[in-house]
Amino acid sequence: MASDRIEALKAAMAAELGKVDFVLGYARGFDPLHATPVTVRTEKDLAKLIFDPTCVQNLATSLYGLRGKRLGVVVKGCDSRSVIQLVQEGLWERENLVIFGLPCNGVLDLAKVRVKADITSVRSVVFEGEGPDGLENRTVRLLLPGGEKLLPLRDVLADKCLRCRYPNPLIHDHMIGEELEPQGAEDTYADVAAFEKLSTQERFDFWKRQMSRCIRCYACRNACPLCVCKHVCLADSREPHWLSAEATLQEKWLFQVMHALHLAGRCTECGECQRSCPMGIPILLLKRKMNKELKEIFGYEAGVSTEAVPPLHTFLMEEDKIKDRGLLW
Amino acid sequence: MRIGVMVCHCGNNIAATVDVEAVAAAAREFPDVVFATDHMYACSDPGQKSIEQVITDMKLDGVVVASCSPRMHEATFRRAVERAGLNRYMFEMANIREHVAWISLDRRRNTEKATDLVRMAVEKLRHNRPLTAKSFDVQKRVLIVGGGVAGVQAALDCADGGLDVVLVERKQAIGGIMSKLDKTFPTIDCSVCVLGPKMVDVGQHPRITLHTLSEVEEVSGYVGNFEVTVRKKTPYVDWTKCTGCGACLEKCPSKKVPDSFNENVSFCTAINIPFPQAIPKRAAIDPAHCRQFTKGKCGVCQKVCPADAIDYTMQDEVVTEKVGAIIAATGLDLFDHTKCGEYGGGRYPDVITSLAYERMLSASGPTAGHIKRPSDGKEPKTVVFISCVGSRDRSLDRPYCSNFCCMYTAKQAILTRDHIPDSKAYVFYMDIRANGKGYEEFVRRAQEEYAVEYVRGRVAQVYPQAGPDGPQLLVRGADTLLGTQVEIAADLVVLAVGVEASKGAGSLAEKLRISYDHYGFFLEGHPKLKPVETNTAGVYLAGCCQAPKDIPSSVAQASAAAGKVLSLLSKDKLESDPQIAMVTGNRCIGCGKCERTCPFGAIRMREMRDGSQRAEVVETVCQGCGICSVTCPVRAIQLQHFTDSQLLAEVNALCRTWDETSE
Repeated sequence: MASDRIEALKAAMAAELGKVDFVLGYARGFDPLHATPVTVRTEKDLAKLIFDPTCVQNLATSLYGLRGKRLGVVVKGCDSRSVIQLVQEGLWERENLVIFGLPCNGVLDLAKVRVKADITSVRSVVFEGEGPDGLENRTVRLLLPGGEKLLPLRDVLADKCLRCRYPNPLIHDHMIGEELEPQGAEDTYADVAAFEKLSTQERFDFWKRQMSRCIRCYACRNACPLCVCKHVCLADSREPHWLSAEATLQEKWLFQVMHALHLAGRCTECGECQRSCPMGIPILLLKRKMNKELKEIFGYEAGVSTEAVPPLHTFLMEEDKIKDRGLLW
Repeated sequence: MRIGVMVCHCGNNIAATVDVEAVAAAAREFPDVVFATDHMYACSDPGQKSIEQVITDMKLDGVVVASCSPRMHEATFRRAVERAGLNRYMFEMANIREHVAWISLDRRRNTEKATDLVRMAVEKLRHNRPLTAKSFDVQKRVLIVGGGVAGVQAALDCADGGLDVVLVERKQAIGGIMSKLDKTFPTIDCSVCVLGPKMVDVGQHPRITLHTLSEVEEVSGYVGNFEVTVRKKTPYVDWTKCTGCGACLEKCPSKKVPDSFNENVSFCTAINIPFPQAIPKRAAIDPAHCRQFTKGKCGVCQKVCPADAIDYTMQDEVVTEKVGAIIAATGLDLFDHTKCGEYGGGRYPDVITSLAYERMLSASGPTAGHIKRPSDGKEPKTVVFISCVGSRDRSLDRPYCSNFCCMYTAKQAILTRDHIPDSKAYVFYMDIRANGKGYEEFVRRAQEEYAVEYVRGRVAQVYPQAGPDGPQLLVRGADTLLGTQVEIAADLVVLAVGVEASKGAGSLAEKLRISYDHYGFFLEGHPKLKPVETNTAGVYLAGCCQAPKDIPSSVAQASAAAGKVLSLLSKDKLESDPQIAMVTGNRCIGCGKCERTCPFGAIRMREMRDGSQRAEVVETVCQGCGICSVTCPVRAIQLQHFTDSQLLAEVNALCRTWDETSE
């Protein structure tokens, strides 16, 4: 069934190849557990295409840097929201994009796999029990030098996949494969709520500990599909001089706060920032906190409709849930 | 950079609780500060002279004055540094009076805080750049929204002062509430007789363009150059031909239209001229009741019109007016008395509002000046007035006083006794607020000469009961002076309804980009010192749209607003404030978020030669609010004089002192 889907993807892409500069898709990376982005320019390149739970990258991240071209892009449900957000903000023109949507029921979190097995020399990976009937019977069979290892898929999927509400791309020109049932109807933000229950001091200590590990590599920024100011990022700017080059906790922390604030009402929680962090800092939590607030105050969710007007990008005299009148009286 | 610091004693205002010499001494150690001193009154003439002297002697590039609020004397000091040859934006003010001296008696900590504030001001100044204002042409025309007495007065004053005036009125005729009144307090002179000549002047003034049946649809632009679109609703009568003869009114078969001018007490025709003195005296068709529109056939008015003015196919017209200033004079609406169920408002026909009663008193009103109760047309012998209906009532979310109800109630009680000498008039009141010229005497006259019975207390309930000569209303309330219950069998109950902001005031405020309070009244620039201005340059207020007020106050404010407009537009060119947003082109990524958030429409996107988009600020439109600046992810838009670097410098100066003191 998986092979049917790849064939369908190849067929759809072959039909579009002449009309785009190239298509961004996934190919096998340096080992069977890793996928890598690939540019498909000719029919010969089609053979490289793969799609399975190792395809963790959000290919929409590359889009902004490729403005001015006419591209094809392969998206999962979550990635499609980044594309929607880019189109909504006028950062990409929809007509210059051919979207190949692939319903997806989860990708791996390699950090979780690493805890369970030594994956430095994986020989093969087999995903078993694929189907639309949820995660219950699905497993990952890893062939390692020391023998086989069978892991329940649920244990090694990314957190975002376990609460996924949009397994099917919300924007697409070609839908490849059958649509899937979402994992949950609504995001309860249980993780954020649990964190909020800690005392101020506990939360402060938590972030102090986490942020002190930041090495200011800006991988989180570079992996973010919506961090579009890369060449003029405030973190690198002398005028205004928000951040100095000092490696202090304040500077590291301020950068992460800035990143979270710049994504308030825009972040689609694709999780690329956290996935790309070499230090494993849970920065997605900051962004989820912002999104939780946005949802509570404005009832807004980013990356769902290209026509939506983000609440922080408009100006209203009165907001329903913000009481700013009555201060004078 | 060479910076001078002057710390002001402000007599004893600051010096009593701040060691100003110590602040000056500390300032001498700050970076770039080459001179620091203290002065008894920095704002005084010698104070300003010494600032100018020091700038010349010490070859200063910038000055910090630590004294009062910049709202008091920033302009004074800016002029002083400008006289000494510096740019006026190379000046910073640290507020060590309102923010320090007046709020604490702890001299040591006050001195520390004052030093911190001076340090912040110095750091800000080190990042300041000279800014220059630009000048632009102004339109010597004014738009007045609302044709009540305030709008009429403002229009006449502006027009007599030489400005072209555009007067927009929502209703068919100007005159507003005042044209509905019979008499005015405290002189009991005929309302429309004093207003009428002014209305005629408006109608005939060569400088006044009158748009009635019209509403402001859109306002763009900025002080000196507003562009206003006005929708003129069609009257279905060609007003260039109509002579106001009234032939159509006589023949119109649709005679059961509630007459809103008479507070729906009586009926009028579907084609109507609201009152005899109406300006413009032109007929208009109400399509909701006209048979030509509801049934598709009639055409009587078209047949009888001697001027051939009726045209059922007329459409709304949209006109665009360019003006330099705007006066909002949208007036008031009255509290909906049906919300007061305990008084039977809307339930019993003989419980009426004060304005409906006023129409009844008027000779041109529905009863030709005879007081008749609506239920059976009989002359009432006992009339009860209830004050503060929808005023001073927190439970109705109307905690404010409506200002003039006490007075018109006294007037109506006097007129009642005048019209029906054998009648009794009772007034239930909370307090009597009669603080105008001749007002207290007027209320005394009502009580003493006209024997109006004033009962201090609230009415609990009004309910119908059978009286000796037919049905009556029993008014049950408290007399808090006697500490007893009172019950009065009344023939007519008049509710002194309070004032509400005009319906649609909020949406007009948003179009004009001015603020309004919780109740919909427009906010003045400053409650004491800018009672006529708004916080939007070029927009002024007159009359009840700002707060409930009586006719003399409305007229006074209207003339004040006209004076403000005349002084504004007496200049041929205006200076724009350079403290506005500015785009750093090479940082802008063209995402357009600033354009969407700008509440003033001051940002537009411009296509560059390479096809990319860049934001651009329209300097004259920008109000310097800074929303774009905080929206911009790249900080490509900076608010001049409040740039990120300047604010960060202040924050860093403050945080550094905290670090030092905590260690």
